[in-house]
Amino acid sequence: MSNETTSGAPAVELRGVRKHYGEVAAVDGIDLSIRVGEVVALLGPNGAGKSTAIDMILGLSGPDAGSVAVFGRAPTEAVADGAIGAMLQNGTLLDDLTVAETIGLVASLHRSPMPVEQVMRRTGVEDLAKRRANRLSGGQQQRVRFAIALVSDPSLLILDEPTAAMDPAARRDFWKAIYEDTAHGRTVLFATHYLEEAEEFADRVVLMRSGKIVADGPVAQVRAAASGRTIRAVVPGAGEEALGALPAVTACELREQRVRLSSSDSDATLRALLERFPAARDIEIASAGLEDAFLSLTAEPETTR
Amino acid sequence: MSATYLRLEIVRMFRNPRFAIFSIAFPALLFLLQASLFATGKDTDVIVQVLMVNLMAFGVYFAAMSNGARLAVERAAGWQRQLRLTPLSGRAYLAGKGLSGLLLALPALLLVPAVALAFKGVELDAGSWTRILVGIWLGSIPFILLGLLVGQLSRPETLQPVNMSISLIMGFLGGLWIPIDGMPDWLREIAPVLPSYWLTQLGRGAVTSDLTESLPVTLAVLAAWTVGLGVLVIWRYRKDSSRA
Repeated sequence: MSNETTSGAPAVELRGVRKHYGEVAAVDGIDLSIRVGEVVALLGPNGAGKSTAIDMILGLSGPDAGSVAVFGRAPTEAVADGAIGAMLQNGTLLDDLTVAETIGLVASLHRSPMPVEQVMRRTGVEDLAKRRANRLSGGQQQRVRFAIALVSDPSLLILDEPTAAMDPAARRDFWKAIYEDTAHGRTVLFATHYLEEAEEFADRVVLMRSGKIVADGPVAQVRAAASGRTIRAVVPGAGEEALGALPAVTACELREQRVRLSSSDSDATLRALLERFPAARDIEIASAGLEDAFLSLTAEPETTR
Repeated sequence: MSATYLRLEIVRMFRNPRFAIFSIAFPALLFLLQASLFATGKDTDVIVQVLMVNLMAFGVYFAAMSNGARLAVERAAGWQRQLRLTPLSGRAYLAGKGLSGLLLALPALLLVPAVALAFKGVELDAGSWTRILVGIWLGSIPFILLGLLVGQLSRPETLQPVNMSISLIMGFLGGLWIPIDGMPDWLREIAPVLPSYWLTQLGRGAVTSDLTESLPVTLAVLAAWTVGLGVLVIWRYRKDSSRA
């Protein structure tokens, strides 16, 4: 990687960041620290403040309160050094330039860019080099925009809903390219609507709602934070009180001998269950998908909006 | 700013047929047409020369406005935001647009006199040629700023009608399309309100002393337009970047 980073500083550090647009608090006091090399998914419904947060990390806008640092520096400094590459939301390309010219143009503005041919090969747009942007499919355009984000060989890559315009096959190819690329230790922050993308590609998930971070952790942990897992079993001779007292149990249902336990840590619950009730049988554990976690964590408390 | 960036700014414009037609071919053809229609009887030399400087001014004007119009398109396409993620500063972006405006003015600036030389046998001394070419070229600066301002204030949908209206006013009332010699008195009184009148004066003073303004006054008026429009462009730029 061409961009040396201030040693020890996190890739991204937000502290008490707020941003208002008129009366609306688009980002309402968030703290977020992303370590170098992490791949983080930023999830949340429309209007949750994802793009506003990303704009501040990129230095495109400044916070009303709080601080934003990228590799220990101001975002605009990191941008000027080519340390951040980004695919912005709703961005398009210039129709009067070819793909190779567009990438070459952005490369020429950076101090130590990757060779244009290499970037095109990595992002799979070599065959499109001579084509104008208005002759590209949605997926091809996104790949070109990915190439633009990558051309400065940035240490931090930020992707704001990169696959929004893609069909499933294009989306798979796109993530394959990202995945191969991040094997080199690049830090990635991506916003997405597609939960499977977060589950599959992120080390860590950050959920936003109404300008606040409502959950932050490894994919498995975030999932558990919302609805955890459900343990079903037949437990002869068990009482509701004893079951409810098992570790990490959040809810308990008992009918005849059939038990349904909701747990925030199914491993701990199950170990304790088997220890206390060795006769327990027909055990099933179902995991609530990230989708459920997403819905329950991001659902508005009231329905006024 | 890089040489590649500037080169591509120019290349992009030549790929735009509207630019090539209106800024390059149209002024040269309109010159030939007007010279054939109006340059009859005595003193045809001066009439041809006046038409030549007017249409050079028009070509340069149109190039400047087309150059600025791209700002609106680039903002709407999210391209400006993309460029803000490179080391290119906002100031360098605007400076690049100004420079490309000057370079894009060159084809019209040179083609119209080339046609005038080839088909109408225009003869002028070196001093007059220098004043016409350098004067009109640098006189395009306030119009480049006007183009940038329109580009900053417009959306791509509103750009065409806005630019068309300004062109009609500058063209008909400011003396680019109709020489002031052919204007009724009341119109000739109004014309100096428009900067395009002063742009044509830069060249007109080199070919005739009839209906001309003095060079210092002409330069002062164009300099005032440059400062005024420059202030507006910078004000708008600051407003845009603080809001984004």
